[in-house]
Amino acid sequence: MEKIIFYILSAVILSLSLMSVLSRKLLRSAVYLFGVLTAIAGFYFLIGYHFLGAVQLTVYAGGIVVLIIFSILLTHEIDHQMPTPEWSRVAVAGALCVAGAVMFIQLLQGSLFSRVEVPEQSDLNTLGNTLLNPGGGGYLLPFEVVSILLLAVMIGAIVIAKQRHSVDNSSQEKQAP
Amino acid sequence: MYDFTTFVQSIGNFLHGQFSPGVATALEWTLVILIYLALYAILGLVLVYVERRVCAFFQLRLGPNRVGWAGTAQTVADALKLLLKEPVTVNKADKLLFNLAPFIITLAALTVISLVPFAKGLQAFDINIGLLFIVAVSSLGVVGILLAGWSSNNKYALIGAMRSGAQIVSYELSVGLSLLTMVLLTGTLQLSAIIETQANGWWIFKGHVPAVIAFFLYLTASIAEINRGPFDLPEAESELTAGFHTEYSGLKFAFFFLAEFVNMFTVAAIATTVFLGGWMPFHIGDWAGFNAVMDFLPPIFWFFLKVSAVIFLMMWFKWTFPRLRIDQLLKLEWKYLMPLNLMNLVFTAILVYLGWHG
Amino acid sequence: MFRAIYEYFKEILLAIRGLINGMRITGKYIAHARKEIITQEYPDNRDTLKMFDRFRGEVVLLHNENNEHRCTGCSACEVACPNGSIEIIWRAGKTPRRAKRKSRLRPSYTTCRCVRCATCVSCRAPLMRSKWGMISNTRFSIVRN
Repeated sequence: MEKIIFYILSAVILSLSLMSVLSRKLLRSAVYLFGVLTAIAGFYFLIGYHFLGAVQLTVYAGGIVVLIIFSILLTHEIDHQMPTPEWSRVAVAGALCVAGAVMFIQLLQGSLFSRVEVPEQSDLNTLGNTLLNPGGGGYLLPFEVVSILLLAVMIGAIVIAKQRHSVDNSSQEKQAP
Repeated sequence: MYDFTTFVQSIGNFLHGQFSPGVATALEWTLVILIYLALYAILGLVLVYVERRVCAFFQLRLGPNRVGWAGTAQTVADALKLLLKEPVTVNKADKLLFNLAPFIITLAALTVISLVPFAKGLQAFDINIGLLFIVAVSSLGVVGILLAGWSSNNKYALIGAMRSGAQIVSYELSVGLSLLTMVLLTGTLQLSAIIETQANGWWIFKGHVPAVIAFFLYLTASIAEINRGPFDLPEAESELTAGFHTEYSGLKFAFFFLAEFVNMFTVAAIATTVFLGGWMPFHIGDWAGFNAVMDFLPPIFWFFLKVSAVIFLMMWFKWTFPRLRIDQLLKLEWKYLMPLNLMNLVFTAILVYLGWHG
Repeated sequence: MFRAIYEYFKEILLAIRGLINGMRITGKYIAHARKEIITQEYPDNRDTLKMFDRFRGEVVLLHNENNEHRCTGCSACEVACPNGSIEIIWRAGKTPRRAKRKSRLRPSYTTCRCVRCATCVSCRAPLMRSKWGMISNTRFSIVRN
C-alpha cells in the first residue's frame, strides 16, 4: 500500500513540477507549485515525520505559495501569457537540463543509500529539547542567529517602505511655498 | 465510562478477519471517508438551517418555517435546488482554476474535521502534532479563495479574494498564538491528550485568566479567519455582491457554502477541545452524585452540546456587531489582538514556570 | 509612556464594554423571541389579523348600503396619482343629464401599477379609503373597473 502511495506521490510531484516550469500562464505555475509542495508534505507524512510535514504545509504551501499568488494578483497583466520562447533558447535550456539530470543520476548511482529505520512517530519533546538546547548538540545558537537575521530583514523592509513616504512628504512641503 | 476504542477496534478486527489485509485497509478507508462525507453534508444542512433560524430570532423574525416541521426540511429543499441548477462557467474564465478552487476549499475543510475527537476513541486521525496540523491545513483554504476570486474574471470576486487573503494571512497569526498559549498549559499538541489533561477541570476554569483571554482571542481571530460576520468583508453583500463566489452557481457554489459552515463547526470544535474539555462531562468539585449523573450522559452529547454553545456565541457575535472596514480589520489584528496575544503568552509562560497551572 | 499604556488598556476595556452592551440587547431579543416576533404570516392569519391604522393598501371606492357611490368624477384622484394607475373613463356623448352621469362614470384602477401612496384618498369628499388586503389569485382581478 505504501509503495503505491509513494509512486502516486512521485508521479504527481514530477508531472506537476514539469508543468509548473513549462506552463505559460503565471498563476497556473504558482498553482502547480502549490500541488508540488503539498505532495512533498505527503511524503513526510508517509515516512512518519508528521512535524516536518505540518511545517511544510504551513510554511511552504500555506505561507509562501499564498504570498506568491497574492503578489501575482497584485501585479498588472495577470492575464498575460508568456510568448513561446525561441527554438535556439529551448534547445540550449533542454540540453543543459538533460546534462544536469545525467550528472545527478550518475552521482546518485555512485553513492550507496543505507536503509534507515524510521521511528513510528517523531517525538516532539526531543525535537523541542534539541532545538532549544544551548549545549550538548543543541541548536539554540543557530536558531537565535536566524531570528536576528529575520528581525534585521523586517526592520529593513519597514525602513525601505517608510523612507519613500517621508521623502515624498518633505518634497511636497518644499514645493508648496 | 463510555469508551469507543474497543468498538472501533472490533470493527477493524472484523474487517481484517473477513478479508485480506489490503482489501480490509481499503474498506476501512472507504468507511471512514463515507462517514466523514456524510458528516460533512449533514453538518452543512443542519448548520444552515440553525443559522437562518437563529438569525431570524435575533432580528425578531420567524425564518424558514414552511417546509417540513418548523422549516427543518428547508435546507434539504435548497440543497436539491442547488443540485439541479446549471453550473454556469464564465466565458473568459480560466476553466481549470475555476473548477479547481471549490475542491481545494472543500479538501481543506474536510481534512480539518478528520482530526476532531468526538468521543474517546472516536477520532479518525489522532496525530501527535494535532493542533499544528490543524493550523497548517486550515491555512490551505485561502489558496482556494484566491483562485476562485481570480479565475472568475470578475472585479468584485477579485476584490473579495484580495480582502480574504489579507485577512486570513494576518489573522492566522493570532489563531496560532492563542493556541500556543494553551499548548503551554497542556504541554502537548495531540488533541486526545489535550482532552485527557482536562479530566479534573476544563482549561477555561482551571487555566486562570490567561485561558479566558486566550479563549476570546481565539474566537475573535478564528471567526475572522473563516470569513464570518462581523468580519465577512470578502463576501460583503452590500459592496461586493457575493465576494469571491460571485460567479459560481449550482453545486460549485454549494461547495463554498458548505465549506464555510463546516469551517464554523471546526472552529467551534477546536475551541471546545482546547478550552472546554472536549467530550469531558461537566463536573463540579466534590459533588459525587452530581458528577455521576453528568458522567451518565454520553460524551458525544457533551461534545455537541459544547460545540453548539460555541456556535451560538459565534452567531450572537455575527448578528450583533456591524461589519468592520478593511482598515479597522487590520488595525484590530495588528494593534490589539497581536500585542494582547503576545502579552498573554508571556504571562502564561511565567505562570507555567512558577508551576501555578492545574 | 505610562499614560499611553493606560490609554491603550482603557480603550480595550471600553470597547469590550460597548460590545457587551450590544450583545445584551440582542440577547434580550432572542430571549423574548417567541413573544415579540413582528413577522405576520399573512395569508394564513387573514381572519384574525388586525391591521394598523396608518396602513396603506389597495384603494376602494366607498359605497353606501344601496350600493351607490358618491363619486362625481372630478378626476382629483387621477391628477393626484403619481403613476397613472387611476383613470376616470366617461362614456362620452350620451349623457346630457347630470343625474345620469354617475352611472356612466367608470373609474379604472390598476392594482399592479399602484404604489400604495394613498395620495388619491385625499380627494375632497370621503369617497375612497385604503383597504387592507392585496392578495389576488388571478390576473383579471388586478384591474378593477
